[in-house]
Amino acid sequence: MLHGLTLGSMYAMVAAGLALMLGVARLINFAHGEFFMLGAYAFWLGYSELGLPYPVAALLAPAVMVLFGIAYQRTVIRAILPRSWHVQLIATLATSIVLTNLAIIVLGTQPKEVPTALSSRILDVGGFRMAWQRLLVLLAALVIFWGLHRFVARTRTGRAMRAMSQNREACAVVGVDVQRVTMVTFALSAALAALAAALVSPLFNIFPDMGTVLTLKAFAAVVAGGFGYVNGAIAASFLIGLTEALAGSYVSYAYKDAIAFLMMIAVLLWRPQGLFGRRTGI
Amino acid sequence: MALLEVRGLVKRFLGVTAVDQVDLAVEPGELVSLIGPNGSGKTTLFNCVTGYLAADHGRVLFRGRDLTHVAPHRVARLGVARTFQQVSVFPRLSALENLLVFLQQHQEEHTLARLIRTPRLRRLEVEAVERARRLLDLVGLTDKADAAAGSLSYGQRKLLAFAAALMPDPDLLLLDEPAAAVNPTMINQMKSHILALHRQGKTVLLVEHNMEVVMDISQRVVVLDHGQKIAEGSPDAIRRDARVIEAYFGR
Amino acid sequence: MRRASALAFIVMVVAAPWLVAAAVPRQQRYVLHVLIFTVLFAALALSYDLVVGHVGSLSLAHPAFFGVGAYAAAILATRARWPFLADLLAAVLAAAVVAALVGVPLFRLTEHAFAVGTLGLALVASIVANNWVEVTRGPLCITGIPKPVLGLPGGPTLAVTTLPGYYWLALAALAAVVLLYRRLTTFRLGRAFHAVRDNEPLAGAAGIDPLKYRLLAFTIGAALAGGVGALYVHYLSVMCPEEMTVALTVNLLVIVFLGGVGSLRGVLVGAVLFTALPEVLRLAPTWRLVIYGGLLLLVVVRSPEGIESLLRRASGARAGR
Repeated sequence: MLHGLTLGSMYAMVAAGLALMLGVARLINFAHGEFFMLGAYAFWLGYSELGLPYPVAALLAPAVMVLFGIAYQRTVIRAILPRSWHVQLIATLATSIVLTNLAIIVLGTQPKEVPTALSSRILDVGGFRMAWQRLLVLLAALVIFWGLHRFVARTRTGRAMRAMSQNREACAVVGVDVQRVTMVTFALSAALAALAAALVSPLFNIFPDMGTVLTLKAFAAVVAGGFGYVNGAIAASFLIGLTEALAGSYVSYAYKDAIAFLMMIAVLLWRPQGLFGRRTGI
Repeated sequence: MALLEVRGLVKRFLGVTAVDQVDLAVEPGELVSLIGPNGSGKTTLFNCVTGYLAADHGRVLFRGRDLTHVAPHRVARLGVARTFQQVSVFPRLSALENLLVFLQQHQEEHTLARLIRTPRLRRLEVEAVERARRLLDLVGLTDKADAAAGSLSYGQRKLLAFAAALMPDPDLLLLDEPAAAVNPTMINQMKSHILALHRQGKTVLLVEHNMEVVMDISQRVVVLDHGQKIAEGSPDAIRRDARVIEAYFGR
Repeated sequence: MRRASALAFIVMVVAAPWLVAAAVPRQQRYVLHVLIFTVLFAALALSYDLVVGHVGSLSLAHPAFFGVGAYAAAILATRARWPFLADLLAAVLAAAVVAALVGVPLFRLTEHAFAVGTLGLALVASIVANNWVEVTRGPLCITGIPKPVLGLPGGPTLAVTTLPGYYWLALAALAAVVLLYRRLTTFRLGRAFHAVRDNEPLAGAAGIDPLKYRLLAFTIGAALAGGVGALYVHYLSVMCPEEMTVALTVNLLVIVFLGGVGSLRGVLVGAVLFTALPEVLRLAPTWRLVIYGGLLLLVVVRSPEGIESLLRRASGARAGR
């Protein structure tokens, strides 16, 4: 149960970014899982290799990935945005493959473990035991989603993002800086993925090819949440995390991912508008 | 019996009623026009008749057969041909192939026969090529036969789409704005093509904005406004109809 | 003249084992191995192009069908001791049946959703291959798959044990695939496929059932991939779950897209370029994927007309652009 909530928080941060990109730029970023992977390695580098304290390393990862997200938007995304969905799909898939294999070459396939003080300290509340790190993940996730919600709802850029998700052409006409908003979206999405990585890395292993499966799970959440609707994607992520944890302990640990993907295909087929109904915008 | 009969057809999109209780009958050999201001439901009606949209209520009968929930490709094979408002061709097939593909599904469709290319199929193909060349001649695209359809001009593509619809020798021809956005010469060309079809006894239902074309060639005109049929009659009667004048110029 | 040069080319391809023996006697085995891989990948890429290039459905599920065929052949040959031709046929049928079954629901999805659905399917297939240990032996791999023996029950048999023998077997399979590919992609079938790819609503008006032709290409493509899978495991004599990962999809995408989508010659050239060349340059698989991904990215991003104009389907026409 608790494991499901941890997984859910992680998927939700990744899926929220994916949903933002889909909403604002109408693009499915197949390299999004690799953002998480790179964020995790950035955290590992800062914490284990450079010996930075946890909070610093945990903030270094998103900082690095913001730069990466901007670079990605400027080089790849800008070029493919006006093109057909075939091109976008192949380009982001190609990016994902390049990043995964570069990571294998540079860092090796051996999984990295990054235990922190909080991941081994156990909190015991009346027989209910949990690692402090998990509590941190849950609390941080809540704060992050609250912040994201405020950002999208209240700030100028956030409002521009919402407007673009509803009508891109009209935004360009009324003078919204479409390029800049797209860039902010990618930077924000990359930061979310990296934050998720920094939060859960002390609990799970880090390895180079963890991206593809994560992308697909996050996408499953985006689909179930109603294609590009951020709050829906976040809610669906927790559903997937819980299902996975339950399926893992009661059905079959080996097939938990397969079950998640089959559920995604089923939702695509039977409720293409998502589990929570139809709406437009992020 | 009417060739095409539409009874009490209703189509809604997210609460907006695009087609509202429309009745329409087209007799064999008739040339009927469907007119109305933008957004009055003409194309939606076409899409309901040809299987591209499922009507919410009402029925579509072709030769007495219910077409209401029949898929587009089946409607086409029953002998109803249509063109699209946006010029629609297969851009990467040649002009000749664009025509051939419109006839082949009405003939031998067995995959194995096509794979083996039976002698019968080869004969049919030779005949199809002859017919396609005659139609290309008719619309003046003889020398474009082997050009990719995507490389033709807008007007040429429009003529090609028109010729393609004629390939299977359909019993009913639905034309969606054949004269829109082409030059005056082309409009006259289209007009004479449609009239020639009519003289051959073809049944034609036409959606058109160009009033001159409509009034010149139609036997009967049906007027839609906000999805409802507001008038029906000869071109002369329609010209004088108060409700039609209101719908077009009243606001 | 063109006929003559084509004939010369075919003679050269068929005579390759002898040419190799004469030209590089010390590396004969290695070069033949590369040639066999190239031929098998060419056949596989053609089967993929039937789906991607000719009906315009960007499926990412091809490794799953390759894997179904490969495992069917491997299991039948090792446990049930089926003769080669029988397990080859079973592999083709198994892949076709799976494709037909999953194709019906999957083709209700369009564009992105179809691509994502097929990717999900490919991952599910690979998870099953890794974890259904009783059947696939999981990461332990199925080993000891016998060399193919051609022949019908009761008749004379011919064991394919040498590398040249295997090369000719693979070449015969490629020839069969090429013939089928040409039959499918020209004349009336090809026209119907291309109509569905170029403009789906208009195809409907032409009396073409888009689902039928999509499913046909998808199923035949899968069947051929299953057959190639069978040939592949009989050659390597092992089948492991790693043979059916996303990396295979990337390989195929590179061959098909950089070689020439929807073009027989393009795909064949792509297969030679992107199977033989990296082998000869002895690139590590990871470096190969980095370079492939980079090339794919570069072509898609930099060539303004390249892939897009070739692949654009009904979407543009439907929106009236």
